[in-house]
Amino acid sequence: MVTQNIESIDLSVRLGSLRLANPLMTASGTSGYGPELTSFIDLRKNLGAFVTKSVTVEPRKGNPPPRTVETSGGMLNAIGLANVGLERFVAEKTPFFEELNIPVIVNVAGHSIDEYVTVCCRLDSIDCVNGLELNVSCPNVSDGLEFGTDPVRLGELVATVRREVSNSLLIVKLSPNVTDIVTTARAAIESGADCLSMINTLQGMAINADSRRAILANTCGGLSGPAIKPVALAMVWKVYNRVAREAKVPIIGMGGIATWRDAVEFHLAGATALAVGTTLFVDPEAPAKILGGLRDYLDCNGISSVSELIGQVETR
Amino acid sequence: MANPPASLALGVSANRQLCRDHFRLTLCTEDFPAARPGQFLYLGPTVHADLGSTSSGTLGLRDSLPMPFLRRAFSIANLRRADGKCFIDVIYRVVGAGTQWMAGLRKSDQVSAVGPLGNGFGPRPENHDLWFVAGGVGFPPLMWLANSSADQANSRVFFFGASCADFVPSILSCGEDAGRASEIPGCAAVIATDDGSLGVRGTVVDVLTKYADKRKPDGPKITVYTCGPEVMMRAVVEFCSSRSLECYACLERAMACGFGTCQSCVVPVADELDGQGWRYALCCTEGPVFEASRIIWNHP
Ligand SMILES: Cc1cc2nc3c(=O)[nH]c(=O)nc-3n(C[C@H](O)[C@H](O)[C@H](O)COP(=O)(O)OP(=O)(O)OC[C@H]3O[C@@H](n4cnc5c(N)ncnc54)[C@H](O)[C@@H]3O)c2cc1C
Ligand SMILES: Cc1cc2nc3c(=O)[nH]c(=O)nc-3n(C[C@H](O)[C@H](O)[C@H](O)COP(=O)(O)O)c2cc1C
Ligand code: FES
Repeated sequence: MVTQNIESIDLSVRLGSLRLANPLMTASGTSGYGPELTSFIDLRKNLGAFVTKSVTVEPRKGNPPPRTVETSGGMLNAIGLANVGLERFVAEKTPFFEELNIPVIVNVAGHSIDEYVTVCCRLDSIDCVNGLELNVSCPNVSDGLEFGTDPVRLGELVATVRREVSNSLLIVKLSPNVTDIVTTARAAIESGADCLSMINTLQGMAINADSRRAILANTCGGLSGPAIKPVALAMVWKVYNRVAREAKVPIIGMGGIATWRDAVEFHLAGATALAVGTTLFVDPEAPAKILGGLRDYLDCNGISSVSELIGQVETR
Repeated sequence: MANPPASLALGVSANRQLCRDHFRLTLCTEDFPAARPGQFLYLGPTVHADLGSTSSGTLGLRDSLPMPFLRRAFSIANLRRADGKCFIDVIYRVVGAGTQWMAGLRKSDQVSAVGPLGNGFGPRPENHDLWFVAGGVGFPPLMWLANSSADQANSRVFFFGASCADFVPSILSCGEDAGRASEIPGCAAVIATDDGSLGVRGTVVDVLTKYADKRKPDGPKITVYTCGPEVMMRAVVEFCSSRSLECYACLERAMACGFGTCQSCVVPVADELDGQGWRYALCCTEGPVFEASRIIWNHP
């Protein structure tokens, strides 16, 4: 076993203009606006960046319950973008971020390009917001189709937001509900995305055989948790190798990350940073454990910087 | 404000059957944050302690493939401190994989718990008659509440409804004596069974009606606390509103996180500050106890 000074191991990663002290982030919608997690972990020590729940222009109550249901190795959710709306977000939630001392990324959702632009412009002017992550898995009001499933529509959205955003890192969060995720990744990159995050939830459904009814009030929902990890790994690997590496656009990998092994695997597939989502519901201390394990792994393998793992998977 | 929750490993000190489908799990730890009736624990198999520190070894978050994957919520049925230790009871009914896992726990096994969670029952009004109205597996939080209200209450009555005698835990009756609950000393107990096999034949609301009708108009005020199947709670709440009785309901909702981040567990409540007159409250943080008149039961 190779042993180096464990303190000298470099866990920091770079996402465009942002430096993260370690690669772990929260996945949007799984940590609220921050304060809830502080009962369990020191966010400053254990997270490289914090990512908020989606913010929309107007407050949204979200879908009726039941909104979530457990499925094999994961869960379905149809929360429906419940959030306090842009103005209350700025007034009530950003003071917490000012004290946080780690980069804060706000996830932005909308049902029209104008809505995304309104939210992004307002947040881009706020000092404690360091990045904007576009949740493009929302249906467009004009035709009901998700922005993220069509490269032309996605390109138009990203290009428009790009023109308005000057201070914050612009991240596009890709939807896995497409035939070829490389195509939408390329559209996002060519339209000016600084960074990609992937994957959002996979569409799914749960049915109760006894009552013969759909379990979620919304009928369908998004699948997350360990069940989707293999899908996420394959998508990260493809996008990294086919477009992102060459374009030098970093990837934030997510989908079922629960242990330090999962973290290593996502780095090897091509992710620069990692987000932990559903696992936080089961174990809110997971980031601390994953980070400890990642550090030990690097130490045992004589690797001095986590960046050395990125994209290094050997294929057969 | 309630105490902040913690993530803890708890030891199993006992796990016993109470009646046909209720079990009591007693968990033990050296230190547990202060908690109050109505708060709950979020339980799951032990998270691997060495998860963070070895590069070989564990493959998953849990010992075996996660089943259950999410934690399961259980009201705290009692909490007592003795000999420098803290003992926490939960009483559960086996209904699926998670509670099956619990039924298999043995003394000195370990479980992982997050808690105490939720906003429990508020302070009880002084010198009221307190009526605790439980059905099915809704009795555990009310049992702790009844036991910790002896000093403030003018009198206490514990009502329990079940389909038949088999489903009445022995701790809520003394064998054939349905007028006393062996584990709620000093509190009157009234049992109603659908088939009349123990206590009064009928529903708990039938019994409540009889009790209320018998009272003198100038008697002490009554405050009602209810927990149980939703149909029962709705009937109890309706009864209370028809008699202008203050009522608090302890609700259950499907949960994922238990501490306010996932937004799974919403309960529609009246809110005059909201433009539409209502909003979704989170059962896990704002509840699970709600002032019953605020709950919108017939929400589309
Ligand atoms: C705040 C709170 C306190 C609770 N306190 C207790 C308690 O003291 N004792 C007790 O026995 N149970 C309690 N419950 C319910 C308990 O959480 C469920 O019985 C348990 O999650 C079932 O898990 P399972 O894996 O065995 O069953 P599953 O296979 O998950 O479900 C079996 C059946 O139970 C239903 N169910 C699952 N979860 C819930 C839920 N959260 N609420 C209502 N129905 C559900 C399912 O729809 C299904 O029909 C509480 C729930 C909440 C939210
Ligand atoms: C309850 C819940 C709510 C979510 N809300 C959002 C959201 O508001 N915006 C968003 O972009 N993604 C949202 N997601 C998706 C996650 O950020 C993440 O992409 C996905 O869950 C996969 O990661 P995981 O398996 O680690 O959870 C949500 C996921 C869950 C489980
Ligand atoms: S269970 Fe997650 S917010 Fe209530």
